[in-house]
Amino acid sequence: MKRYLLKSFLGMILTLFITITLTFFIVRAAPGGPFDRERVLPPAVQANIEAKYHLNDPLIKQYIDYMTDIIFRFDLGDSFTYNDHDVNYYIATSLPHSMLLGFISLTLATVMGVGVGIISALKQNRWPDYTAMSVAVIGISVPLFVIGPLLMYVLALKLKWLPTSGWINGRNGWVTLIMPVITLSFPYFARIARLGRASVLEVLKSDYIRTARAKGLSSAVIVFKHVLKGSLLPVVSYLGPAFAAIMTGSVVVEQIFRVPGMGTYFVKSALNRDYTLLMGAMIVYSIILIVMNFLVDVLYSVLDPRVSYE
Amino acid sequence: MKKVLLFVLITATMVSFYSCNKSSEAPEAKAATPKEPVEFIINNGAEPESLDPNKIEGVPEHRIYMALFEGLVAYDPKSGRAVPGMAESWDITNGGKTYTFHLRDAVWSDGVKITAQTFVDSWLRECNPETASPYSWFPAMFIEGADAYVNGEAGPEAVNIKAVDDKTFQINLVGPLPYVIDALAHYAFAVVPIHAIEKYGDDWIKPENFVSNGPFVLEEWLPRQQLSVVPNEKYWDRKSVKLDRVIYLSNDDNNTAHNMYLNGEADWNVTVPLDQMDAVQDEPWYVNAPYLGTYYYIIENKTAPFDDVRVRKALTLAIDRETIVKKITKGGQIPAYSMVPDMDGYPVLDDPKSHNFAKDVETAKKLLADAGYAGGAGFPDDVVILYNTSEAHKKIAEFIQEQWKQNLGINVTLQNMEWATYLQQRREHNFTVARAGWIGDYPDPNTFLDMFLAPESLDGAWGGNDGRYDNPKYDALIEKAATMEAGAARFSTLKEAEKYFITEDQGVLPIYFYTSNNLIDMDKWGGWYPNVMDNHPPKTIYLK
Amino acid sequence: MSDLKNEFDQPLKGNSLGADAWRRLRKNRMAFISFFIVVFYVLVSLFAPILPIYSYTAQDLDHQNLPPSFQTADAVMVNQEIKKIEKKMKRDERTEMTADEKAQIEEFREYVANEKVVVDGKEINPNKKRYLFGTDDLGRDMLARVIYGGQISIAIGFVGTLTAVLIGILVGAVAGYIGGKLDFYLMRLVDILYGMPYIFIVIIILALFGGNIMALFFALSFVSWLTTSRVVRGQVISLKNSLFVEAARSMGASSGRIILQHLLPNSMGIIIVFATLQIPSFIMQESFLSFLGLGISAPFASWGSLISDGVGGMTSYPWRLFFPAMAMTIFLFAMNFLGDGLRDAFDPQSKNEL
Repeated sequence: MKRYLLKSFLGMILTLFITITLTFFIVRAAPGGPFDRERVLPPAVQANIEAKYHLNDPLIKQYIDYMTDIIFRFDLGDSFTYNDHDVNYYIATSLPHSMLLGFISLTLATVMGVGVGIISALKQNRWPDYTAMSVAVIGISVPLFVIGPLLMYVLALKLKWLPTSGWINGRNGWVTLIMPVITLSFPYFARIARLGRASVLEVLKSDYIRTARAKGLSSAVIVFKHVLKGSLLPVVSYLGPAFAAIMTGSVVVEQIFRVPGMGTYFVKSALNRDYTLLMGAMIVYSIILIVMNFLVDVLYSVLDPRVSYE
Repeated sequence: MKKVLLFVLITATMVSFYSCNKSSEAPEAKAATPKEPVEFIINNGAEPESLDPNKIEGVPEHRIYMALFEGLVAYDPKSGRAVPGMAESWDITNGGKTYTFHLRDAVWSDGVKITAQTFVDSWLRECNPETASPYSWFPAMFIEGADAYVNGEAGPEAVNIKAVDDKTFQINLVGPLPYVIDALAHYAFAVVPIHAIEKYGDDWIKPENFVSNGPFVLEEWLPRQQLSVVPNEKYWDRKSVKLDRVIYLSNDDNNTAHNMYLNGEADWNVTVPLDQMDAVQDEPWYVNAPYLGTYYYIIENKTAPFDDVRVRKALTLAIDRETIVKKITKGGQIPAYSMVPDMDGYPVLDDPKSHNFAKDVETAKKLLADAGYAGGAGFPDDVVILYNTSEAHKKIAEFIQEQWKQNLGINVTLQNMEWATYLQQRREHNFTVARAGWIGDYPDPNTFLDMFLAPESLDGAWGGNDGRYDNPKYDALIEKAATMEAGAARFSTLKEAEKYFITEDQGVLPIYFYTSNNLIDMDKWGGWYPNVMDNHPPKTIYLK
Repeated sequence: MSDLKNEFDQPLKGNSLGADAWRRLRKNRMAFISFFIVVFYVLVSLFAPILPIYSYTAQDLDHQNLPPSFQTADAVMVNQEIKKIEKKMKRDERTEMTADEKAQIEEFREYVANEKVVVDGKEINPNKKRYLFGTDDLGRDMLARVIYGGQISIAIGFVGTLTAVLIGILVGAVAGYIGGKLDFYLMRLVDILYGMPYIFIVIIILALFGGNIMALFFALSFVSWLTTSRVVRGQVISLKNSLFVEAARSMGASSGRIILQHLLPNSMGIIIVFATLQIPSFIMQESFLSFLGLGISAPFASWGSLISDGVGGMTSYPWRLFFPAMAMTIFLFAMNFLGDGLRDAFDPQSKNEL
């Protein structure tokens, strides 16, 4: 087991290293640079700016400097767009907000999704199943950028129950969480419910459940002790990447509800060619993802005794 | 069990994070003052990229700059033009090339005096290549010797500005530039707190270190949420400042911003989403005013068939601009047939009222036939309209595509790209037709014309002249006007240049002149006036 | 029908698997209805050019933002004018139209009823069109745009999903079954690809290959198979030590055979669900890619682009959001229930249902 852990850890470090390296060169291969403007700057001014951010150094030197800063000083560098603070600051001020929103949304989505999935499967092709799956299809097919404005229109503009937007440390406080959480958790809920239903169905017909039934165990015991555990596998596989994605924020939800999370940086800094800020965000995402996928692998053997990594 | 532990851990982290942040919620705690403080909330658009006047370049930053800082001159809220600021008065000598400013007694918000030397140091910081200010070309355009310093060819001593004494600041210009006073209100000519910058370095913009000289001081800056300012007690004109707090909201979503305004969560919105234009049209709080900007299409002048002026003329005449502004943009924009918008003493070159669209289309058909493409026959089918991603750009391009098809029989395709790729395509002249827009930097025709100079007059590069418009006669006139004194003669030289550019050569296809579209209830708020520069200093705004 | 089969699911009678499945599908009412809905969508998309609908690019700016109606455009336009005046009356707090306004309406009614334009040498009244789904902000028929948008979105949904799911199954099944070093490296590759800056990849694809449809499919499939592969791998890992796999292995079945005949069929439920989950994300992703310059270029439309265009005007012109969203949701409903139905129909064990 120790060897397995050590090997996994080294694998994670290597994966992260390759990811950072590839990303470093890919972002610089895209057309356009961080300081291109509709107004063409005089070459001297452009050169001054590039010199300030060391963009005129040879690429390989930039890469080595960047890696050195990350490894020895945990310094992700200066943002090319935002002049007053560095990347560490922007990530430190945005990640906790994303994580709070993501954590609540994903917890809600998982609990609801698994529950609905099980009920749906047990009542397969009967009305509770159809109703639940219809709701799920809506959640899957209606995009965030439609759900968000719809909620805002109904709850804020028409009913005046909630403020349109804002965040919990603003003047409206915790109520600002409600709409972002609903919007963000709905599609995750829908996916988990669909997956959960399918895998419960899969487990219900497997040999060991049949054996359990044959042994005369009650339905409740079967469901909670055997079905639930066995059927969580696909959901858990899905949750690994989903966790990384939701914890690092959603640009759509953040923009609609003015949530100061990290998701916006993935898109905005890409469009601004803000290489350092984008890389900072990608690194955080990659770390969470790699760790989560590792945990998922470990969870497999916990959930399913048939799985082993020996 | 592990999951429970994880949950507890994460929750605990969150709670501790937010409880640490509690201190930043000060505004609510202070609300207990006897008189309800007057707050003014602005949906300011994108997150400010910087507060340092020597580093900013965008419009949202400029709005914040107007609250925090004041240069030699400030903006008049009614006209958007320059009025005395830190300088009480000024003398112009040496044939319009030397300006001597008499400074008023003023201090920074921490009480440190502002002297002529502060101005010298500030402007040198702006021009210093190490500061790498994106707008350092702006002083370099005006101040003698600044260009050499920005380019790294000379040291700071080359910049011809000096502190005659504590209260007299003198600058020498490269020529008798007539629009310099208006330009001096720009943040590239800001005065910055050198003493604080020396003390704190890059951290001087943090609220606890921040020092400013404008009507307001920085109170709090929550990244991607809001920035708030409160009156500067040391400001020389403190009694004119009526608002108790101004809040600049960061907001990337126009529709959310609009909903916030409708819901009373914001007092001033700086844009209106396209799809809400019909709805706000008759509302008293919708304020629409001409704005110093032109929306136009550039054509690659050196690529066939666009190297033929008849083709360019035909394309421009076959666009129904009236319908674009009435039915698509809907914000009171003015159809444009020429490049420079209407300015004091410089009426538009080609009055839209003189155009009759039906007749224009006939002329266009004839021109296209003369060029050898009667009814569009034989016209290349790989012509593309390039535009950057935006709802409005897309609609206009779709409309123009259909117009050219119906009126000229020409089939073009549309291609949208995200901003940076789009810009690169333009820079590399890798397009046939592309949309463009230009907002004037200062109220003078020159800002709309000098970007179309050819490389011979522009250090060998095409600069911003992405469509490669090239006419030596035009270049000569623009360069001539640059050294002329203000007045009618200079304007007529510029007008002559514009005639070459538009009437003779049709170097670009102007579509419309911009308007500013603001949402603000002017029955509730006073001291806010529509103007062509769309500058609205918060200093004068008050609750009626 | 269960009595016709033995415990090992071998058909005893001459019923082909297909016919058997079809019979089972018909019994599942939801799936059966869904089947016809999907067929209907596909037919409408295929035959769009010969359907009696207006052009999806033809603009008539006088007809912009007309609400859906069975009436002809002139009547709708007059109604719109009346509504405008009523709005004004409400603001001025009066209940009667002024004589001026009445005259104005009459004049307008007269004008639109008799307007003539010459098209192909014939004089016609442009206001006699009927817009069942209303029009968009350039006065284009929403019905035509929804139909043509469906053409593109359905194609993208199918092709994209198929590629993504196939790659995902292949990688996931191989990694899960072979295990060991290969599994380790494949999964690290997946982790690395997850961490790639997607927007940049798309922008680079666009720069290298231009905005053509192949580039679009490539960009869509590039990362979408990652989660599928992890899910399939998880299934395979948990199944590969089952008794029936052991049995097959001991009988000398090859790895490929075990994967294809035993592991995948037993994971089919999850795979089908995952495939149906992918379709909407492909359809919506296309509109995001067009934001970057890669998707469908205007004036072509897709459901995704129609929906994102419609969101802004949701309060003033709800039909511009409602119809494309509805068309897409109904299609996805059908795909979902059809997917589930197919799974059940082809399920070797469904007769053993508890």
